Formats: sequence, structure tokens, C-alpha cells
Amino acid sequence: MDGRLLSDTFVELADTMVVGFDVIEFLHVLTDRSARLLDAAAAGLLLADSRGELRVVAASSERARLLELFQIQHDQGPCLDCYRSGEPVTVTDLSAAAGRWPRFAAAAGESGFAAVQALPMRLRTQTIGALNLFRSSTGTFDQADTRVGQALADVATISLLNERSLRRSETLNEQLQTALNSRVTIEQAKGKLAERLGVDMDEAFELLRNHARASNRRLSELARAFVDGSEKLPGISAARPPESPRRGGKPDPPH
Amino acid sequence: MPADRPASRMVDIWELVARQAAGRQARVSIADVCAAAVTATAVSGAALTAVTQAGGIHLMYATDQISERLAGIELTLGEGPRADAVAFGGPVLTSDLAHGDAAAQWPAFAAAAREAGAEAVFAFPLQVGAIRAGVLQMYRQQPGPLSAGAFGDALLFAETATLVLLDAAAQGAPGTGPGGQPIELGLHRAEIDQATGMLTEQLGTGADQAFARLRAYAYAQDRSLSDVARDIVERRLRLEPDDGLTCGGGR
Repeated sequence: MDGRLLSDTFVELADTMVVGFDVIEFLHVLTDRSARLLDAAAAGLLLADSRGELRVVAASSERARLLELFQIQHDQGPCLDCYRSGEPVTVTDLSAAAGRWPRFAAAAGESGFAAVQALPMRLRTQTIGALNLFRSSTGTFDQADTRVGQALADVATISLLNERSLRRSETLNEQLQTALNSRVTIEQAKGKLAERLGVDMDEAFELLRNHARASNRRLSELARAFVDGSEKLPGISAARPPESPRRGGKPDPPH
Repeated sequence: MPADRPASRMVDIWELVARQAAGRQARVSIADVCAAAVTATAVSGAALTAVTQAGGIHLMYATDQISERLAGIELTLGEGPRADAVAFGGPVLTSDLAHGDAAAQWPAFAAAAREAGAEAVFAFPLQVGAIRAGVLQMYRQQPGPLSAGAFGDALLFAETATLVLLDAAAQGAPGTGPGGQPIELGLHRAEIDQATGMLTEQLGTGADQAFARLRAYAYAQDRSLSDVARDIVERRLRLEPDDGLTCGGGR
């Protein structure tokens, strides 16, 4: 592992975690850096909702196929096992996991992934979700990498506590719901912008995210204002011509 | 929430609500949701405030006088867990109003609420992403947190109340699917939210109307919500502003 990259990552994450920070944007940065730092092709964070089902809240790429791969794990896969047991789940060769998780293993293979790791997001006795890492080649996950991955999962958990006062014991449950709902708002905003501009969902996400950054606004607040009509986004336009829905067999590259 | 929470709990919740309605010999309304929520989560009372078309806040229902008074206090003072839940976009749980935190956060509300007879208040926003329909607020006469199970149930009651409110607001949209159950008992899918966003553009409406139309369409076609949403997201289906029910391909 690149020590410089590791320290830069933690400095960047700490810098992002200031008063009034946007937890969803933070988690996006975290998944993005996790993928880069841990040599993963893709990374995502999943949180359990009120029904105890896992939902993706942030990912290193918004490609539909990747999001689907996270979504499948409400039903089966390393994240579900990790969430239920509260323990890390590592699979060094996904082709050998077809018996354990038939749908997940097949979908991961189709996306070009060969190995996967799920690390628990834990606070005391409660497991609230998992950090999911995908690699495009088989092989063991280095112990030092796994420790860093777990530290990143812990930082993600802490970030959910950070937005409101730490004195409140009830904060985590409150914030978890807010994060899940923020993600819903972002999906609604993606849909609205994708329809308006005739672009696909991942491009709509990039446009929203770039606009939020350029105008120094929280992504989730911009998304909410755009959906409720108070923000019109007049200057925003498609960066590339419209595409048909993605159906190709290409792996999702690192973001 | 507990990791072993059965996904079918939403079905149980709906059954509790439907039983309340059956007892009144009426269609399911938010009164039934509030009454069932109070019993299931072992709180002293609940009230539901809704956001009106003009953006005002309206007390829709309260199970008892203290709940009604609490809502009145919050609307008069303009501070309290209700407003915070809306601003914050998540539940606001205050297990002890006598504690310094609550007094620091809402000096006037904390004192007035205790005087009215509440020692703990729990506010749950009624929301689907950017759609904000109102707040379900519960109180207890004794301090103490909601148990993990009661908290999980309260979230599901809030979800149920949201759908009942949105359907009541959107004229002609049915509130229940076949068998008297809400039609979105299925898994939450990102496509549903994306399709809702797309429909705001196709229909030229707000997200609340778009979401109601999406559900009404799925119900009328006897298809699952996520199935219809996927058709919209993959651009095989469009809905038009006027007659919502027939346009585009379907499957």
C-alpha cells in the first residue's frame, strides 16, 4: 500500500468532516478513495433500512450495473452475510462462490469482478451496514489492506454520528434514516435530470455532483431543491450525447 | 434496528392498521395509523401534522388531548422536534425532555411540553426523498427511549402514514392494492425513486404527484411498482400529463 496515499486520504476525509458537512458527499468521497487505496475496481457502502434490508448509499461509480450488484445483496451476498454476522466476509475467488450465492456470484462475474470483500460498519454491539470492495482479479486480500479497509468502514460509521451532537445516544438511528432518505432524494434528482437532458443515470449524478461542488453546496440539499423545484439548474447541460440504457458486458472501471 | 428484524414486519404493521379501520368500519385513514402506532410502540399518544398544498402545517389527527396540545404548542412556538425532523430529514428522538439537552435545544417547547404532560417525544418525518408530507409525532408520559423494536415499528408506521397521506392528497389514486394491502410491500428499489424523478418532468408535476401516479399506474396495471419503475427508467414507458394510464409500451 502507498503510505502517502493513505495519509492523504485520511487528511482529506478529516478535512471534509467539518461542521455542517454533507454526509452523503462524504461517503461518496470515502468509497471513491477506498477503491483507489485498496486497489479495488469498485467500492460501495450499504446501510440497513427500517425493514432490515440493505440499501446502497454511496458507491465509487454510479453505473447501473454496479448499483444492481449492491442491490442484489438485500437477498444474498457477502454484504448480507457480513451485516448479519457483524464479521468481515472475504471471497478470494468468486467463481467458487456460485453455490453460496448463485445470483450474486453470477452478476458479479458478468460485471468482471473476481474477488470481493465486505467489512462491517459497527458501533458497539450494533451493525448498521457494510463496506463492499470488488476486485477484478482473484487472490487474497492483504492483511494490512483489510485493516485499512476496516478503518475506513469505521470512519463511515463515525461520520453518521458526527453530523449531530455526540452526546445524544439516539443520534445514530436518527442519522441513519437521514442518510437513507438523502440517497432517495439523490435518486429522484438523478431521474429528473436524466429525463430533462436525455442522459443516463450515472451522467445525471456526475452533473449534479459537479454542480454541487462548483457552487459549494451540499449534494443532498441541491438534489432536494432541484426535485422540489426551488432550484432550476438552468445552466446545466449534457456533457455527451444521450446513450441508450447500458447493457454491455464491460466491467465497471474504477471511478 | 435489530439485524434479525423480519422483512415481513411491514405486513404485520399494515394488518394492525387495517384492523383499526375495520373496527371503525371505515377505509384506512391516518387515524388508524396513529391508533395502531400508539398500541404497537407502547407510547402514550400520537399526532399527525401534514403539510398543506400552500405549504402550511395542519394538525390532521391526534389520538388524545395531550398529543393535540403538543402539536399546538409546537406550531405556536415555531420550535420543537416536529420542525427539526422536517429540517433534518430524519427522526428526532428525545427520550427525556427534562434533560439539559432538550432544554438547550428548545427552551420554550421543552418546558411547555412537560407542563402539558409529556416527558419524552419522538418525531418521525413523513418523507420519500424530497417529498415531505408531514410528521408523525409520539409522546410518552414517562421519560425513556423507544426500544429498538418500537423504533423500527415507528419507522414503518411513518412509512405507512406517508403513503396514506400522499394518496389522500392525490385525487383518484387508490390507497390500497389487491387484498387491502399497500402495494409497495416489495423491496425498495432505486428505480422507483429515479422513475419518480423522471415523472416530475414527464407530467410537469411535483414529486408527490409523480409518486402517486406511479403507484396508481402500477395498481391499475396489476404490476409491481419496481417493475413499472424499471420500464420508465429504461425508457420503455412514458406517462402523459392528462390520462395517466395509457401511453408507451409496457411489456
